[in-house]
Amino acid sequence: MRRQLALLGFAVGSALRRTGRTLSLAAALALVTFAFASVLFFTEALRGEFRQGLAALPDLTVQRLVAGRPSLVEESDAAWIAEMPGVTAVRPRVWGYFFVPALAGNFTVVGVDFERDWEQLGGHLTVGPGRLPEPGRSEEAVMGEALARFLGLDLGNAITVPVGSTFQRLELVGVFRSDVALWSADVILANESDARVLLQIPEGAATDLGIWLSTPDEGVVVARKIADRLPGVRIVDRQLMSRTYDLTFDTRGGMMGMMLLPALVAFLVLAWDRLTGVGAGERREIGVLKAVGWRTGDLLLARLWENTILAVGGAGVGIVAAYIHVFWAGAPGLAEVLLGWSSLYPALRVTPAVDGAQLVALLCLVGAPFVAASLVPAWRAATRDPHSLLRGGS
Amino acid sequence: MGTTLSTPRFRWLVLSFMLLAVALVWISRDAAKRRVAQQGRQAQVEGMVHLLGTADLALSSASRWLRHPSLTEPGAPFADGPAILDADPAGAVIGPPRDLLRGMGSLITDP
Repeated sequence: MRRQLALLGFAVGSALRRTGRTLSLAAALALVTFAFASVLFFTEALRGEFRQGLAALPDLTVQRLVAGRPSLVEESDAAWIAEMPGVTAVRPRVWGYFFVPALAGNFTVVGVDFERDWEQLGGHLTVGPGRLPEPGRSEEAVMGEALARFLGLDLGNAITVPVGSTFQRLELVGVFRSDVALWSADVILANESDARVLLQIPEGAATDLGIWLSTPDEGVVVARKIADRLPGVRIVDRQLMSRTYDLTFDTRGGMMGMMLLPALVAFLVLAWDRLTGVGAGERREIGVLKAVGWRTGDLLLARLWENTILAVGGAGVGIVAAYIHVFWAGAPGLAEVLLGWSSLYPALRVTPAVDGAQLVALLCLVGAPFVAASLVPAWRAATRDPHSLLRGGS
Repeated sequence: MGTTLSTPRFRWLVLSFMLLAVALVWISRDAAKRRVAQQGRQAQVEGMVHLLGTADLALSSASRWLRHPSLTEPGAPFADGPAILDADPAGAVIGPPRDLLRGMGSLITDP
């Protein structure tokens, strides 16, 4: 223990004597860690937000594809599916996209049969005096925060949306709370009849069917029976949705990681270059240490301590900076790349979801190669003859 | 060793590491607080997901396969159009010219 403390003291002194080199390496390490940690924090947080809503999803979603593109399903199919063993509820859903040239983007229009679904709503979803559309009352809508702000609408204001040669009036009766902004930023929620007009979905048809089961494990059996009776349908189960999301952000995060790899390599090259350039003073120092009895192992241990301190300090600063960047500043610069271009961005209030193992993996990715790379030049210098080192031999 | 540990530079180093330790404790406490707040929002989030029928995050409204990746059929990006803009992920930093999209919009809404 005393020996290790002595080596640590020597390592600290050595690092402090070469302040410029130490600071430049720590800054480069902090920068590389910051870049990787930001991507990791952000992608994991988005995945965590998606998973938070998983429990409320239907176990199966039935879509219909015609010519490889989504088509409408028959509402009447819900009746016989509901009678299948293991099925607890079937909900034909009316939703879709409404392209607005002025916005250069899509609204997501969702129609809800409030008379049917009112009981199942949890919590208060709208801000202040706002409310959800009343069952059976048309021309009322709730909008996401970002969309209402973009359109400049306050509660009680109305908009007229062109639908073919006619117009559909919608009065804003509520704005979704910022708590659910990540899910509702571009949403217009209205009674099902209004949504049908906006999306031009005829009575008797629906966008898809949501199916809830008594035991989610029965999903495969139920899905097979539905596919037998309705050839051409596409059935998505809850696990598949979750996997898709994981893969989406794995892909995007992975691509960002790949883009950052050259930065990591450049940092390691810099570290190698800085650390192999052993100056005359340093050579003499090693020579003196070896002459007074230090062994090669002692010199390597001292160098290991020195670079571990540097790696921990640099990586720690990078992680703190990445946390502030993602969770306090909203990930400027990174969010635009990872999320895709959009005219409406929700207020990004995401929750950290990184676990310890991922942080250790990150530190191993950045810190371990640096410490390893720094040991090789130290070993080369430490194995030299002390006489030649003291005489200033290169 | 004794002389190294008593130099002003060493004290600065110790102070820096102590600050770093405080910052790391602060972010772990902040993360824990945010997780508690997230659990508090659980009922609202599940209510919202139940209403919408999907848990997809409204991160991008540029295209349906970006808006609802979990529900979109395979091959969806290519069904949008043969000259589709590169929206994900490389084209995301700079948005496409609005005039170009406005033209596409009029094609879609006024066939």
